[in-house]
Amino acid sequence: MINRKALFGAIAGLAVVQGALSQNVIFPRWRQNYSTDSPNIAGGLAPDQMLVALAGFREMIAGILWVRADSFFDSGNYDAILPIIRLVTVLDPKQIDVYSTGMWHIAYNFTDEESRSDRRYVPTALALGSEGARQNKETYELFFETGWLWYHKIDDNYGKAVYWWEQAQKRPDILPARQNILAMAYQRNGQIQKGLEHYFSQYDKAAAIAKVQEDFGAFQQRDVNENNIDTMIVRMGQRGVLGPASKTSNMGVPYDIDPPFDVGFSAQLSVISPRVIRVRATWNVRPVGTRIRMILRDSDYPNAVPGGLNWDFSNNVQLDPPRDRTFMQDQLFVRNQRSERKIDMSRDPTMYPFTSKDYTVEFYYNPRSAPPHIQDKFGWSGEGMTDKNFLNTTIRPGQRVVYTTLKLTREQILRTGQWRDKVPVIQTKNFELTENFRNNDQAIKIPGLRGTTPNPGDQRTQSLRDP
Amino acid sequence: MKTIFSIAATTVGEAIRRKVLLVILLIGLLFLVVAPALNILTARQERTVLVGLTLGVIQLTSALIAIMLTVYMVPNEIERRTIYTILSKPVQRWQFLVGKYLGAVAALGMMIGFMTIVLLITFALSQNERHLANLAPLIKAPVMNFFQMSLLSAVALMFSTFVSPLVNIFLSSGIYMLGTLFSPLFQTLVEAPSVNNVTKLFARIIHFVLPNFSNFNVQNPLINPGQVLVDERLYFITTIGYAFLYIGILLVTAVLIFDRREV
Repeated sequence: MINRKALFGAIAGLAVVQGALSQNVIFPRWRQNYSTDSPNIAGGLAPDQMLVALAGFREMIAGILWVRADSFFDSGNYDAILPIIRLVTVLDPKQIDVYSTGMWHIAYNFTDEESRSDRRYVPTALALGSEGARQNKETYELFFETGWLWYHKIDDNYGKAVYWWEQAQKRPDILPARQNILAMAYQRNGQIQKGLEHYFSQYDKAAAIAKVQEDFGAFQQRDVNENNIDTMIVRMGQRGVLGPASKTSNMGVPYDIDPPFDVGFSAQLSVISPRVIRVRATWNVRPVGTRIRMILRDSDYPNAVPGGLNWDFSNNVQLDPPRDRTFMQDQLFVRNQRSERKIDMSRDPTMYPFTSKDYTVEFYYNPRSAPPHIQDKFGWSGEGMTDKNFLNTTIRPGQRVVYTTLKLTREQILRTGQWRDKVPVIQTKNFELTENFRNNDQAIKIPGLRGTTPNPGDQRTQSLRDP
Repeated sequence: MKTIFSIAATTVGEAIRRKVLLVILLIGLLFLVVAPALNILTARQERTVLVGLTLGVIQLTSALIAIMLTVYMVPNEIERRTIYTILSKPVQRWQFLVGKYLGAVAALGMMIGFMTIVLLITFALSQNERHLANLAPLIKAPVMNFFQMSLLSAVALMFSTFVSPLVNIFLSSGIYMLGTLFSPLFQTLVEAPSVNNVTKLFARIIHFVLPNFSNFNVQNPLINPGQVLVDERLYFITTIGYAFLYIGILLVTAVLIFDRREV
């Protein structure tokens, strides 16, 4: 006869021991060593996908799906690729190509008829990159790719690009050529001295390798860095970073950034037909290369900040952007000291649903994103730039940017109600429709570099103003 | 002890003669052999896919064998009335159950061992790998798989003492899937800030009670090498210890149920 009471006691005892062992000893170690660590499986996948994701043959299925996605790329069926990317990354989080291609695809390929990106997808792309980097900590690739999104696509919060590229630098497999760009991120983040130091460190490493390897690649990397150092030192000299802080160079002439140049920004926005706007802006800088960021968004767009969004507000890879929200971002290209652009949002109602009542139009110019020939005058942080109406030193601490907003209503954009037969026109209070707009001269008038002014410093300053 | 081993040996003989198990094993072996050719279907590194696919085949095949082997063991003995002959001899019911279980585990071990040998030969030939030391790490997964399947067999045996084979197939498969899937889900639930505390507590209780089959899934670092594993040996020892503990619980429960059952 068996002793039932003793056996029940044994079951209870063993149950407690197994549970404690499983939860406190085995599970934490399993998670660290053997889990695929696919985050948010429960939230990101449908139940049937989840079953596939957690069953066997993951890598095989993921590989087949990725081949299938390739055919969707060929046929331009971009929407179909999104769930495949998500499923493949959950099935096989070590497939780096899928993460990097997926990020690029999500951030860049969803565009409207005029090739403007759907910025509502950018947080998703960043979340995917961040997840990929977490899953593949041993390689630099996804740290670099995520940094690139911040640097190139978002093109504003350069501190984030610095963070991701510094993480990439810590990985031993990073390619030498990809290490150099961190210096550019430092510059755009206002860390000028650190940028130069990075170039020097890159040069030292490259020179040491070139001594041993003596091949074309090694020499090229060394020479590129030498050239980068030369260029940067010149720029630092021109922009007043090197030398005395008296705003005057040791040659007795003022630095290029002094005195700050008034860009004279003004803007006018007209809704010329439903969902179609015309934007006119003035910008007193003659050389070509100015692009003023313009954003039209719901006034209460979630996580909006002046001139953009908190792009990495979530770590969740949400494939569906907020479809009931509108966020249009474009750039006003300046030529002949003015910009005129028609923006047609009528052909993409899913991208621009205009369901909210109130809209904010933002104009934002940050010299840190400007090309070098403009930065030579404006400096890295806008030291050489001012605007008597719209200079802003608060929205980007430590930087001098141009920023202003205008307000629009849904009725105005859709031309309904009282605006059915009227053209809504909103503008900054300093806007004037000058002859320059009426002429609409498309030929770019570039100021000559050979001026007659005897002082070369004056000439450069002058060349930014009038011909 | 002798009685238990006699019953176990008989069970192994029966298992080897059962055609359905041999067919499942044969299909598994066939997949292992053709696995290298399936690489062309995917856009992934050849070795990665091959390791993932072959270890997946072994896991799936052995799970099917474990369930099909165990669910019919006790009911068949009752249906064929051979149990009366056995229990009329000086054999305790618990000895019968333990003997049956050990026989099933031995048969399972033989089949998993056979698949592992085919796996190594497939790798040696397809990857042109001649050094056993390079192939040896692959054995970790089937070894842990054996303990996983031993646990699954114990689950199926426990159910077989009071439910019909068909119901048992669904029950055991369900427990196996839940036990395999729950750890990653548990991880997600516990870490998600949006999940409320009641749900987290509920998940913790389920995780505490369920047999965690995912503990034995150690193939990820084999598929994606380069990962630094912490205390691997200790992990294996504790996990195998966990398997013994849980198998003990299930066998004692099975004995308690079977002891009261009228046959």
